[in-house]
Formats: sequence, C-alpha cells, structure tokens
Amino acid sequence: MSGPTGQQADGPAGHQAIGPSAAFVDGLMRVKRAPMLAIGLWLATVLTALPFAMLLQASIGDHLGESLAAQWAAEGVNFDWWNEFLAQTSGVGLSFVPAIIGFAAVMRNLSTFMDNQSLPLVIGVAVSAHMFVSLFLIGGVMDRLARDRAIGAAAFFSACGMYAVRFARLAIIATAVYGVLLVAYHQWLFDALYPSMIENLTVERTAFSYRAGFYVLFLIPVSLANLIFDYAKVRAVVEDRRSMIGAVVSAIRFIRRNPAATIGLYLLDTLLFLAVIGIYFLAAPGAGVNTTLAFALGQLYIVFRVIVRLQFAASQIALFQGRLAHAGYVARPVPKWPDSPAAEAIGPQ
Amino acid sequence: MVADTNRLCGQLVLVSVLTAATVVAQPPDLGTRPEARGTTDVANYEIDVTLDPATRSLTGKEVITWRNPGEIPAYSIRLHLYWNAFRNTNSTWLRQRQLAGDNALGRAAENDFGYSEITALTWLRDDGSEVDLPNFRYISPDDQNRDDRSLAAADLPEPVPPGQTIRIRVAWTGRFPRNFDRTGAIGNFFFASQWFPKLGVFQDGGWTARQFFANTEFFSDFGRYDVRVTAPTNWVVGATGVEQSKTVNGALTTHRYVQDRVHDFAWTASPDFVDLTQRFEHPGLPAVNMRLLLQPEHQHLADRHFSAAAATLRYYGEWFGPYPYASLTIVDPAFQSHSEGMEYPTIFTGGTRWWSPRGSNDPEYVVIHEVGHQWWQGMVANNEVEHAWLDEGINEYADSRVQGVAFQPNYLVQRFFGGFIPWQYRDIPLQRATDTNYMNTFRRAPDRDPIATPTYLLWPGTHQNLSYHKAALLLHTLERLHSWEVMQRVLRTFFARWQYRHPTPDDFFAVLNEVTNQDHTWFLEQAYSNSVTYDYAVERLDSALISWRGLKEGSKGLAFESQTLDKIYRTSVVVRRLGAGQFPVDVLVTFTDGHQERQRWDGRARWQNFTFDRPARAVSAQVDPERVLLLDTSHTNNSRTLEPKRDEAATKWSLRWMVWLQDLFMTYAFLV
Repeated sequence: MSGPTGQQADGPAGHQAIGPSAAFVDGLMRVKRAPMLAIGLWLATVLTALPFAMLLQASIGDHLGESLAAQWAAEGVNFDWWNEFLAQTSGVGLSFVPAIIGFAAVMRNLSTFMDNQSLPLVIGVAVSAHMFVSLFLIGGVMDRLARDRAIGAAAFFSACGMYAVRFARLAIIATAVYGVLLVAYHQWLFDALYPSMIENLTVERTAFSYRAGFYVLFLIPVSLANLIFDYAKVRAVVEDRRSMIGAVVSAIRFIRRNPAATIGLYLLDTLLFLAVIGIYFLAAPGAGVNTTLAFALGQLYIVFRVIVRLQFAASQIALFQGRLAHAGYVARPVPKWPDSPAAEAIGPQ
Repeated sequence: MVADTNRLCGQLVLVSVLTAATVVAQPPDLGTRPEARGTTDVANYEIDVTLDPATRSLTGKEVITWRNPGEIPAYSIRLHLYWNAFRNTNSTWLRQRQLAGDNALGRAAENDFGYSEITALTWLRDDGSEVDLPNFRYISPDDQNRDDRSLAAADLPEPVPPGQTIRIRVAWTGRFPRNFDRTGAIGNFFFASQWFPKLGVFQDGGWTARQFFANTEFFSDFGRYDVRVTAPTNWVVGATGVEQSKTVNGALTTHRYVQDRVHDFAWTASPDFVDLTQRFEHPGLPAVNMRLLLQPEHQHLADRHFSAAAATLRYYGEWFGPYPYASLTIVDPAFQSHSEGMEYPTIFTGGTRWWSPRGSNDPEYVVIHEVGHQWWQGMVANNEVEHAWLDEGINEYADSRVQGVAFQPNYLVQRFFGGFIPWQYRDIPLQRATDTNYMNTFRRAPDRDPIATPTYLLWPGTHQNLSYHKAALLLHTLERLHSWEVMQRVLRTFFARWQYRHPTPDDFFAVLNEVTNQDHTWFLEQAYSNSVTYDYAVERLDSALISWRGLKEGSKGLAFESQTLDKIYRTSVVVRRLGAGQFPVDVLVTFTDGHQERQRWDGRARWQNFTFDRPARAVSAQVDPERVLLLDTSHTNNSRTLEPKRDEAATKWSLRWMVWLQDLFMTYAFLV
C-alpha cells in the first residue's frame, strides 16, 4: 500500500511510514542538532591518535637531530631523508610512508581494507584502541540520536556504560561474522578465486575489471552484515533490548520487511561518504602547504568523516522509528503533540 | 595498409643500413687508437624454426658456422640449452630461486614446464660428409647438479685448430615454459629468448660456458644470424634484425630475419600486437627504424615508448657512440607475461601498465634502460654470467642520466587496490642521484657481497642490489669526483675500444684510469672488491665567542685571568668516519654573515677536528656537502646546524601522519 507521497506505509494503521530519503534528511537534522556528538567522536580520534603521533614525532626528531635535513623536511618533502628514515626506523616509524600525504592517505586506507592488507603491529594496536573507544561511545551516541534531544553528559555516559556491555556482546557476534568475511571470505575471493580466474589473462584491464567485480562481491556481504549489526544496535537502543542475539534477529526481520528502505538509505549514506572523500580529493593539502592549515584541513575532513558515521546511525534510527513507531520506545524523540482543539476556537492568527 | 607500411619500411631500412654503415666506418676521435676490433663473425647461425601455438612447441634446425677464435685447438663444444632451466624444479636455475625463497613452478601444471631437447648433432665436413658428434652429455661444472640440463657438451671428432671454421647442424625440439622470467608463452603471446641451442664462448684456453643460474644472464660470441621463423599467418612476428622476406604458405607464414654483428637472437609472435613504426632521425646519428609491437590496451602509450627509445638513441649515440643497426624493435609484453624489461640485440621487451600517469617514468624507464643495453652488453659484450654489473651498472648509471635530461619531472608513483590504481605524488619528484639510481634499495643492504663476486655466485637476493644499484652509485660517485664530461669520455672510450668484444672489469678500470689519468685502486678495492660501508658524520658543532680562564704570565708573575673576546667566535667542527670505507671529503662551514669556509679532509682517520676563528658565529657544518660520495647512505648525519628545525619538521610530519591514522580509524570504525 502506498501513501499519498509514494512512501511505503508499513507502520500501524494510520501511521505514515517514512522513506529512505526522508530518513536521510531526518538523520542529517538529528546530527545537526547534536554537534557535541561530532565533536566528541572527533576528539576520540584525536585523543587516540595523539600518543602515537607523539611517538612518531619523537622518532622523527631523533633521526633528524640537528641536521640540515630537518630544514628541508620542514619546508617540503625531503624524500631522500624519508627513505633513509624508513630504512633505519622501527615500530611506529615504519608506517610513516609517502602515502600519508594528502588524499593518498585515503587511497591507502581504503586499499588496505579492500585488499585486507595487514597493519603494522603498532598501528593495529592504535586501530584496536580506537575501536574499543568507539564501542564504548556508540551506545551513548545512538541513545542521544534516538532521543533527538539534549540529554546531558551524565545521561550520555550512563547510556555509554549501559550499552557498552551489550554492544561488547554484540561485538563478539560481529567479530565472528566479520572475521569470516574479512579473512576467510576475502582470502577465498582474492587469494584463490581471483588468481585462478586471471591466471591466463593477458589483458590488464580485464584483470582489473575482474578485481573490481570481486571488490563488489566482497563489499555486498560486508555491507549487509554491517547493515544488520547497525539495525541490531538501533533496536537494542530504541527498544532497550538486552538480548543481542534477539537484536540481531529482529534487525534481520526489520531489514527483510523493509529491504528497499533500509538498503536505499544505506546507499544514500554511502553516497554522502563518497561525496565527503570526493571533496577531500579536491581539497587535500599537499606537502608544501603550511602545517597549521594542512592540519586544520585534515581535521575538518575527519570531522566530516565522523559526521558521515553519525549520519549512518542517525538516519537508520530515524528510519526505524519512522517505520516501527511505538509509543513505548525507551529512546524516542519528545512527542510533538498537535495543537489543542482550543487553538481552533481561537482562530487563525 | 600493413603491406604498404612494410614495403616503405623495407626501403627505409635499406637507407638506414647504408647510413649506419657510413657512420660506423668513421673511427671515433678518442685520442688513443683502440686495439684491434673484436671479431664479429665467430659464431654464425642459420636457423629454421616453426612455432606450434597449440602445443606451445618449437621444432628447429640450425647450422652453426663457428670459427675457433682462441689460441689453442678446440676438442669439444659447449651448448647452452637454456629452456631446460624450466624443465623441472631440480634445475639449477629453479633451485637457486628456491634458495631465495621463491618456489617458482613449485606448483605449476605440467604444461607450464619448458624444455629443449636436441634430436641430432652433426658435424658437416667441408667435403660434404656428415658425422655425428660423439659423447653428447649434459654437464654441470658449476654446481655438480646432475639434474641440470642447461649446459651440454659433445666431443669433436677431430680438434679444431685456432682460426679454423667448422659447421655443426643441430636439430631440436622445445616447449615454451609458461612465462615467468624473460621467456615463455601466455595466451597468444609468445616471447622466444634463449630458445635455440647456443654455443659458449671459446676464450682464454677453453670454453667459457656456465650453467643457467637464476641471477645470471648471457654471454656469447658475435656473428650473423639468418633466421626463418614460421608462425601462423596473420600473426605479427618481430625479431632481432631486419625482416628480409615473408613467405605465406597457407595457414603458416615464414618470416626471414637477418642481422650481422650480434651475439643473440630473440623473436616474438602474437596475433594481438598493434604494429607501429617510427623513424629515428637526429643530426650526426644514423637513422633507425623503430618498431613498436604494442598490446592493444597500451595504444595510448605508444608515443611515450617511441620518445623514450628515441631519446636513448640520441643521447647514448651522442655520449658513447652511434647505434649502428638499422632497426630497433620494442616489444610490449602481455600482462602477466613476466617477460618485461629484457634486452636482446636490436629487440627488447618494455613493460608498462594501462594506467600510467604522465610525469612518471613508466614506461620510459624500462624503455630507456633496455635501449641502453644495446650499447652495454649488446655491443660491449661483457660476460654477464660473471660480471653482470659491468653492463647493468653502467647502463643504470647512464639511463638515469637520460631520464634526468629528457624526462623531467618524474614523480613518485605508488599503486593501490591490487596494484591497479596509481597515485602520483606531485610533491615528490624523483632525483637522479638518489632515486633513479635506487639508493634506497642499496642502503637496505650495503654490506652484502662485494660487486666483484662473480654474478652467478651472488646471493640471489643481492644481485639487483649490487649489479644495478651499487654499481650505478659507484659510477655516479666517480662522476661527482671527476665530472660528467670525464665520465662520458671514459665510457665513450670504453665503448669504442670494446665494441663487439668481451671486456672484463679490469678492462673498464684500465680505461677509467687512463682517461682520468688517475689510479682508482684505493677506491675500487673498497667499493668494488669489498663491501665496506661509508658513513661520514658531523658529530659536533660549537661556535662561541672566544674566552679563556686561567693563569697567565704577567709582570708580577702568574696571574689569574678570565677574558672573553667580544667579536671573535671560535667554531669547532668534529667530523667522524663511522663506516669502514675511506674517501676524501670536504667540510663546509657556513657562518651567520654568509661566509663559508671549506676544508679538505682525506677521510682516513676516525675523526678530525676543524677550528675556525672568525668574526661571525657558525650556522651549520657539512661533511661532503656536494654529496660526492653517493655510497654514503646515511646522509642525515652529514650535517649539523646551530639553528635546527628538528621540532618543526617532526611536528609537521607527525601531524600529517596523524590525519592518516585518524582516517584509518574512521575506515575501520564503520565496523563498530
């Protein structure tokens, strides 16, 4: 059944279920109304990265010493020194490669994920640390986005604490699923199937088109799993679910009943992500740009990446609340009551 | 259209041959007269070979006309059967690859293995009679590997005295290995190199012929090659030399290629090649017909191939001596053929990617390098099995100069997403001295084997590092020591003197010493015969107003005095030799008033203190400021400043890195 606006009416009788574009816009508004979330998550990336950056700073400083090479490195790219440093460093220094410059950083990271390349140990530790921080914060973030109103720091962190335990249990399931997808499935696709398919190819473009196809085959189940775990978190927060298995099952149920809306919304959010990295592609600072400006641009880009992450959560919450509206939701926006009948008596203003 | 092009090419080739011959006939003005030219007709081959693409096999017959160039009689012959390196995993070649951790063909299918099998070996006497060569056997003099079939010997029925010529007929069959190193076949792409039974070199009282090692390339005598390649009609065939005729016989076509004064012959066949030609013309140099056999997906890169080849023909021609042959064929190998970047007389394989940004050195570098090999090894034919550095090092050194002169800027490129998507770093233009000489590869293992180690005995992982990179850096160090003009004269003389001959490293060093009028033994013993590391550093730099405290003789005897001169600074620089290698270096001190003091240090002691009293404070001190000694791979410690920007640089780069790390966080955060 279609409503007057063409949106699928999937809610209770008389309730107008929202579509993916409405949820997308609603999500953006919710993120806009919760600037502290973006700032907080951005700060989480800064605070997690900072100790490692300080380690690298010390390592670079030690290597440069009081040499003139420092002057050339400060003014631009001293590639010869850089290579010498890489040949002589260890630990965090090994990750200091040219691909950290400008948009190459994004290319490298996406490529690392898509090709399932291993991270240097210290970087793996850093990423894990950030994931733990995110795991702790995400419950509070979703609670805030679901309520769509300021809840105060105490309530926020209370929600973080409350959901952290549940989401840790969910993370066990997610780790198992992602482990299969990112390791076993990826290896099967790219280390077994792909090489055998291109074994006798003599045209590079054809090989690349195969690889691009394999990336799609890889991303589809990863995104689907991501979608399921996203909605599991949504249902866990909005409906105050304790059972994470139950949350996953109900998430699957919701996606199965609303495939176009959930997948359409996911694609819209993905488009936003692509737009953000597309803009950064144009604006990413080169090595010659002033350090302060380059850092500011970089941080602005990270803030937008955080916003995109929030948008995924906020829009999915909006969609869920718009499709399965229930007055008994634990986390829900403040009801917006219609005007009192008395207002009608007063007449138009 | 193709036929018309071929006809035109034939006319151009004829003109080129005449032009080339004219130019070559002119002796180079070198001041000294080279010794007698090497003989260019020691080993002549007439070969008939038929390719069967369906079975990836060859059936061949060759008549070798060989003249004993030595000073003693020959009692036997040596034949290289290179394709037997790919016969099974017990070959010396594949065992050496395993030693380096690469189990090539370890899991290969049956058809991936290749071989050469001699079916008849006959001496053709002058009187028309024929006799089979007795005692044919496989030999493995280098590693006693009885499973290796890459080298064979047979006795001669009677000794061949010096200067006498004999004719030997060899019939053989062979199968292309799957391409994984230099030769082989994949799909419809066939590249045939080291494909025919080939004589060793008879010199210095015997045969110089070694088994085929993974590190090593080739060594053979010059001669005339007259080769008929029969391949499917409508396939494009390219080969060493100039095509003389094309005879269509139904489904098969025989292409006849002939070339004099070469020591090898390679060919390629594929129905997929885009066949392009351009003519190289430059004042003072012979014209050359350049032919490019291009993969269809690389058509947009055709001009870059031609311009790189033309630049090398020009600069090498001007610097060292003209390219004397009429043709030059560039083969663009198929994707995954693993035959890229290999040189053969008048033909070579390039190698590029379908997405190659302009302003990077792909495909230019490989084309320049392989065209350069036409001089270094193609014409100056050192023994690559034992002294690969002599051609690889000289060529690497010289080709990076061509890149520096003709193809700038040349930006760093890295590839992502399975190696398909390039990213060009416009902030990082590659420099000749450090980047295109591959200093970074060398600096990771500067003290492995000496370059003087025979190439076939080098640890498999160090060959490239030493033969290419260290040798290029060594030569570039010599350039910075003497100047490019001097080094060009060295190489030009070496080329003229050893063209069509087999020089050894000692021959090169003799030319070096002669042209520079200096003995370089002190340097070569360290950098060539040994693997010492070089590392000079500025350990301390102090600059302060001169002051003293203490007792001083006065009118009343010894009296305490404390004094500081208010305008004279004493600058002290301590330089240290951290490595075992010794090299004379300059020490340069720069003062706040812009004045510079330079002093020479012989670089022998472990440390040296330099003191300067001047009315200005020092700003910085550098040891080897012009970076003459490129073999000093730890250059950061070569300078010290009193106004360091360490914190500024470290902060700048750690903040850049931090953004990358945050982006990495966000990349994985979507999983949470």
